[in-house]
Amino acid sequence: MNDDIVIEVKDLKKYYPIKAGMFGRVVGQVRAVDGVSFRIRRGMTMGLVGESGCGKTTVGKTLLRLNDKTSGSVLFKGQEIFDLSHNELRKIRPQLQIIFQDPYSSLSPRMPVGEIIGEAVREHKLVPEREFDDYITKIMRACGLQPYHKDRYPHEFSGGQRQRICIARALALNPDFIVCDEPVSALDVSIQAQIINLLEDLQKEFGLTYLFISHDLSVVEHISDTVGVMYLGDMVEYGTKKDIFAKPMHPYTQALFSAIPMPDPTVKMNRIILEGSIPSPANPPSGCKFHTRCRECMEICKTEVPKRYEAGNDHFVVCHLYGK
Amino acid sequence: MEKKNSETKNRSSFGTQKLDDERRVRVLSPGMLVFKRFMRNKLAITGLIILVVMFAFSFLGGLFSPYNQSQVFKHDEEIMKEYATCMQSTDFRYTIREGAVFPDAARAQAALAISKGQTSFTYDDKTYSLVQEGENVYTFGDALMVANTRSLAGKFSISAVEATGFTVSDEFAAAAQAAVEARASQFEADGTIYTVENGGKSSSIYHVESIALASKSVFDPYEESMEGLTKSFAFRYAVEIARVKGQTTFSLDDKDYVLSGETNELLVSVQENGGTTPVCSVSDILVSPNANDIFLTAEFKAIIRENIRDKQTKFQYTDETGALVDYRIDRVNTTYTVRTLKESRVITMFDFPTAAHLLGTDSNGMDVMTRLMYGGRISLMVGFVVVLLETFIGIVLGGISGYFGGWIDTAIMRFVDLFNCIPFYPIVMIIGTVMDKMEIDPIKRIFILMAVLGLLGWTSIARVVRGQILSLREQDFMVATEATGIRVSRRIFRHLVPNVMPLLIVQATMSLGGIIITEATLSYLGLGVKYPLASWGSIINAATNVHVMTNYWFIWIPAGILIVLTVLGFNFVGDGLRDAFDPKMKR
Repeated sequence: MNDDIVIEVKDLKKYYPIKAGMFGRVVGQVRAVDGVSFRIRRGMTMGLVGESGCGKTTVGKTLLRLNDKTSGSVLFKGQEIFDLSHNELRKIRPQLQIIFQDPYSSLSPRMPVGEIIGEAVREHKLVPEREFDDYITKIMRACGLQPYHKDRYPHEFSGGQRQRICIARALALNPDFIVCDEPVSALDVSIQAQIINLLEDLQKEFGLTYLFISHDLSVVEHISDTVGVMYLGDMVEYGTKKDIFAKPMHPYTQALFSAIPMPDPTVKMNRIILEGSIPSPANPPSGCKFHTRCRECMEICKTEVPKRYEAGNDHFVVCHLYGK
Repeated sequence: MEKKNSETKNRSSFGTQKLDDERRVRVLSPGMLVFKRFMRNKLAITGLIILVVMFAFSFLGGLFSPYNQSQVFKHDEEIMKEYATCMQSTDFRYTIREGAVFPDAARAQAALAISKGQTSFTYDDKTYSLVQEGENVYTFGDALMVANTRSLAGKFSISAVEATGFTVSDEFAAAAQAAVEARASQFEADGTIYTVENGGKSSSIYHVESIALASKSVFDPYEESMEGLTKSFAFRYAVEIARVKGQTTFSLDDKDYVLSGETNELLVSVQENGGTTPVCSVSDILVSPNANDIFLTAEFKAIIRENIRDKQTKFQYTDETGALVDYRIDRVNTTYTVRTLKESRVITMFDFPTAAHLLGTDSNGMDVMTRLMYGGRISLMVGFVVVLLETFIGIVLGGISGYFGGWIDTAIMRFVDLFNCIPFYPIVMIIGTVMDKMEIDPIKRIFILMAVLGLLGWTSIARVVRGQILSLREQDFMVATEATGIRVSRRIFRHLVPNVMPLLIVQATMSLGGIIITEATLSYLGLGVKYPLASWGSIINAATNVHVMTNYWFIWIPAGILIVLTVLGFNFVGDGLRDAFDPKMKR
């Protein structure tokens, strides 16, 4: 059972210090991620949603140890990632990959595509040198790229093609787990569909596990098996896609889901409008962080931090409305 | 495996048969794109052509130039050279009798006595008598005791002083006795005047002997062999006495001499075998040759004197080879300078442009064109070496600073600030002066100059590199290299450096021009490249001389034009590169 869990995040915290004065005295902290826990099973996709600045990307980068953590732990196949030495980390790097949001800045402009994809393969000696070319060709074909693209440079490709190159780069290392950090948000809708389908196809073919970070709920609904909802560094609700989309419990989740556009114009949308903007993570509100914008806000929300309420079927919510 | 093989086989056969996308679309690397964009920029191409010409001129020109950079050109030229100097004889010349002593210091006393009209003067406890023989002719006598007399009980005896070799003749004895008894101070015997010093019973008799002659006459012998005679006291004394007495003949040592001509231009001849031979000329003008190896004949001297007296400024004289030579006389106060055309080897200075020297020659007689070629080598080389040095230090320090960040970044950037606080020109001037003082070899000097310029100039490049790397480090593709586990060295050299390179190339090209200007400025100020090596700046240095600047344009204008063109070329190419590297520009 334990082998089945590819990634387990326990109470992960990432604070960024705010420095001031001549000597860089730390005067405060930006709580980008403030105690997030979840686990992802092999072959599953977890969607991570939330508005801009709620710490989704920080979670993605921190659990790959591209950032340092403040506290908590990240277990990859039972192995604590933050305990590894740099050399050991380098060895398991190929198994943990990331696809970035912006396909324009994530490819080195002065390197041909074949080199971009194959560089790390050669670095880690994943395939023998004489099979190298064929291997890259195979990966490129799998990602919908043509072998003759190998000698071209990134500037010659469209956004969708570039994102395919990024996917190919991640895939070439034969990873177990890929963090997809808003991989389609920079692309137009038709290309989004292509990329999403590609990701799904690859998941089936290679047995990949995804952490799919997005603010686009319809995409998340399409691709995810489980969904986590984040607000101001906290995970406020977590559950299977079915549960969450059918019965969102947290007022924030409800507000978020009410904003999903309906393709049918006759259906009257019952939108919950959130007032105000997201508070500063450097100075979060007391009690429940969402209470400043919550329409169900009670007195207790302003003073007491809510506890996790298990709703069954691995579905939990962090809100004072439940569990009383 | 088999599947792959068939696939590749398929592909290759596919490729040869059909014009597919793979073959139709030309693949352009970013480098090629930059090149294409660069070649489309007319200004950049102009700059490139200028630079190619400059390089060919400097580095190949030296090979084709028939001259060496420090070759000094000379040519033969007839120039008026000082030949002889003539002076009116205004001071007394002293001729001293052979064997007599008349110290130099006594001459000053003598001159004083002459001017005061005294008949005697004392020097060093010794009294000399002074007799004026005629105008400007004086003789100096020294009293010499020749005999003693003794009167004992009316009996008079006389004895000669043996050391003088004097003999007492009867006439002398009689005259001496008469003088002593008459208590006279002087008497004459044998045609000579003696003085008596009465001492009661015994007296001493002195004979005043002339030991020196002072006159303003100049004696010029006709033959070198006669120099001994004409310098002798006896001869000169005899001539002067004859001259002042207006006699035309005198005899000396059984030879008869004849004087002819005027008092200030006498010709003394000796009568021999019924004829006369000129011995010397006596005049009041001194003629002396300006070179040791020239012997001026008395005849020629007489002609010069004649021309001076006639106030002529030009005359001709037939020399011993029979050629007629022109002479010119220039007068300064009482000095006359005789000049004549003489052929001599001179440095070809400030030669105007000719076919042999396309841009003439400079103040050292060196070919300006050749020096421009060799100077270009140094100017361009200094530029390149300094830029390489600057860029190297800049990349290393800026790269470390940008990549590692944190306190390393802070430390290096403060170091950069420190370097920026060093006043450039004072430092370079001090170093230049120190090198002058230590007389450092010109070639070593250039290396030191390169090192100093490089060490003072790297900061701006370090800043640029650091800034660029800081921004690149945060780019997703650098995060991706970390996520894919690529080692640090590869991350720096395969990902960071190629992305910094375009900016660096532009920066380096632009600063090349600046460094050439700096080097030229320093050389112009005399702190940079030194003679005999040349650089464009040191060639322009010639223009510090107003005479050169106003009259000889061909020395400094071409160097100035070369500097302007080269810097312009570098700036055009730099601009072109910057535009070509700018991805926002259309392809």
